[in-house]
Amino acid sequence: MASPCELLIDTTDKQLAGQLTALAFFEARRIEQKYSRYLSDNICSKINHSHGKSVIIDDETYRLLCFADSCYQLSDGLFDITSGVLRKVWKFDGSDRLPHAEEVEALLPLIGWPQVQFDQNSVTLPTGFELDFGGIGKEYAVDAVSKRCLELAPQVSVVVNFGGDIQVTRPRVNKQAWHIGIENPETEGDALRLIRITRGGLATSGDARRYLCKDGIRYSHILNPKTGNPVTDAPRSVTVAAEHCIQAGILATLALLNGKQAEEFLNQQGVMFWLQA
Amino acid sequence: MQLNQRNNILGALTAATCTLLGAPAVSQEAQSVEEPWKFDTAILYYGESERVTAVEGVFSATKDFGNEHIFNGKVTIDGLTGASATGAVPQPTAQTFTRPSGKDEYDIAATEIPLDDTFRDTRVQLNGQWTQPAWQDYRVSGGLHVSKEYDYLSMAVNGALAKDFNQRNTTVSLGLSYAFDSIDPEGGRPVAFASMPLKRDFASEQQYQDAFDATRLTGSDDKNTLDLLLGVTQVINRRTIMQLNYGVSAVDGYLTDPFKMLSVVNTQGLTQALVYENRPDNRTRHNVFWQTKYAMDSGVADISYRFTTDDWDIDSHTLDSRLRYNLSPNTYIQPHFRYYQQSAADFYQPYLMASDGLPQFASADYRVGEMTAFTLGVKYGVLLDQGKELAFRLEYYQQDPKNPGFDAPGVLQDLDLYPSVKAVMAQVSYRF
Amino acid sequence: MKRKPVIVICLALSLSACASLGVKPWERDLLAKDEMALSADPVDLALDDHIYFSKEAASGGRAFAGGGCGCN
Repeated sequence: MASPCELLIDTTDKQLAGQLTALAFFEARRIEQKYSRYLSDNICSKINHSHGKSVIIDDETYRLLCFADSCYQLSDGLFDITSGVLRKVWKFDGSDRLPHAEEVEALLPLIGWPQVQFDQNSVTLPTGFELDFGGIGKEYAVDAVSKRCLELAPQVSVVVNFGGDIQVTRPRVNKQAWHIGIENPETEGDALRLIRITRGGLATSGDARRYLCKDGIRYSHILNPKTGNPVTDAPRSVTVAAEHCIQAGILATLALLNGKQAEEFLNQQGVMFWLQA
Repeated sequence: MQLNQRNNILGALTAATCTLLGAPAVSQEAQSVEEPWKFDTAILYYGESERVTAVEGVFSATKDFGNEHIFNGKVTIDGLTGASATGAVPQPTAQTFTRPSGKDEYDIAATEIPLDDTFRDTRVQLNGQWTQPAWQDYRVSGGLHVSKEYDYLSMAVNGALAKDFNQRNTTVSLGLSYAFDSIDPEGGRPVAFASMPLKRDFASEQQYQDAFDATRLTGSDDKNTLDLLLGVTQVINRRTIMQLNYGVSAVDGYLTDPFKMLSVVNTQGLTQALVYENRPDNRTRHNVFWQTKYAMDSGVADISYRFTTDDWDIDSHTLDSRLRYNLSPNTYIQPHFRYYQQSAADFYQPYLMASDGLPQFASADYRVGEMTAFTLGVKYGVLLDQGKELAFRLEYYQQDPKNPGFDAPGVLQDLDLYPSVKAVMAQVSYRF
Repeated sequence: MKRKPVIVICLALSLSACASLGVKPWERDLLAKDEMALSADPVDLALDDHIYFSKEAASGGRAFAGGGCGCN
């Protein structure tokens, strides 16, 4: 998952804790192997190298595509998993190396979720298109692992934390909240603010480590698929609490895509959120 | 995306999420499980030899409404009967006293410490406290207190704010409490230093009644108490937790005990008159409280020390220790030792000398005099199923008032002016 | 009445000094026990406080002395 992953388990049963950890490890690795765009032999790679031919997909992939479709519709096209091709020109390494406008424009014809055809059995991408599950994959893994933990130990509260995307499976025995620190983007490793959470999901989207900076303008790693350019004037970091981690993740990303209006957007959703300007 | 067009996408997103995850990833059952009410009940018997006997019952109910929103409600009822020291000194001959109501008299045998046996009161106390997290990093708490007995009413409000730091290892808290007490004693409040009239000194009932009424103020009086409490709690290591509190308390109003008096004695130590006491109408106290708890493999050690000082010149030291020893996984025994020591108030006098002028303030109440006290006790508890607990407690409490440096005149040298008070406490508690 | 100098309390546990003290969340197994709560058995403590409040000149410390009663 390219980030620290941890489980916090509210139990004194060492054996159960071991089982849960093993389960989480295998489930997380399974999802990573299947959907990582950095691996060459998985379904993601097959789809991205299909050159316009249809690719057979399984039920899980179909459900992920359906979810991506819902997100595209709900965001009026702002959340688009075909926009990953833009990363070929945008390298968010903290430097001031912005791509040329022509480079960006050249990629725009390769973006557009509505051109992706899929049904329960297969998916077909136009040539040159790529799917990137990066925007939902980690959150999906968190939710999938939580689900497995809850199945194995329905009475035990578990915190699944994959690089700051978090799901709490159920309230703790003594009803105490878990205390989750939100990192300050400026001073890595230093908890900025403590959030109490008894159950549900928490996700943070921001440019703590991935951004570009030129002429005093900070370019966040959140790219607008319609323009091909990063969102500016967005809060540095947005943390959202929702029923499920993946919901929280989508809402946090959409908030950043709304730039200056991030706070207004989150207020309209009626969810708990924390902004770092 | 136009914000005003699609106001809320959360609902649609929830539907999409449920489809994606197949089944809920969070426990649905957990949502509906309500934390049950928890009850703490206890009945305590407190008995002093030849003095006060009290029985006190407590019923406390606590509920967590989820997310650490906790309510506690408590009802306390106590009944008090028996005799209490009046402040008057013993004499080599029998003494007669007028009861606080003025309607009756009682006699005290020669050499006996004068005790007023009129005490009979029932008190009902209600407490409510609400605690919840706020602004993510804080906990707030607010509470109400009402206590009512025949001649006394006390009402208080409190509020506290606590903040956790350092992964909840450090907690800093600030609390404020305001109490309003109103007293309207039987027979009225005595006029300061008024002499206690005795029926036999008057020719007629009417003359006596007029004289008695002249010593009394009508209506009620009150006092206001403002408390501030600053606390730091620190987890030291896996086994040790420590707390340090500083509190300041300012009381303003009627602080005199309407039932207490002083003997006015001559150089032979013989009582010439009995006058009602008078205390200052304000008092400011400071206290420091330190507590440490240590988890052992077989139990818990709990030690606390308290120092208080006030502008009445009363300094006190209290050392309290409890050692819980687990006899088995579900039974424990807990010895308790407490030592208490206080210095006398600057206006404390065991008696007044007839040859001296009247001071501005004076009280012979041993409770504001110099004393030491200790408590020795033991508690035995049985843990039952589902968090229920039954416990028994037996304690012995002894107060030893001391002479803070008065040279007793005449006959008083041979009398016990500072008798010890010995009490037994027995308690049964049940938690369910 | 003499006026006593107000004692100065030094909070030896200053926050920065606490940084090295304390435990990680998963080391709270012992501290989480009911009997390790600073005010474990609150009913016992309240009953004791009421007795000592009515028999001695000092009160409070652990918590507010609370509203009074006619016993003192």
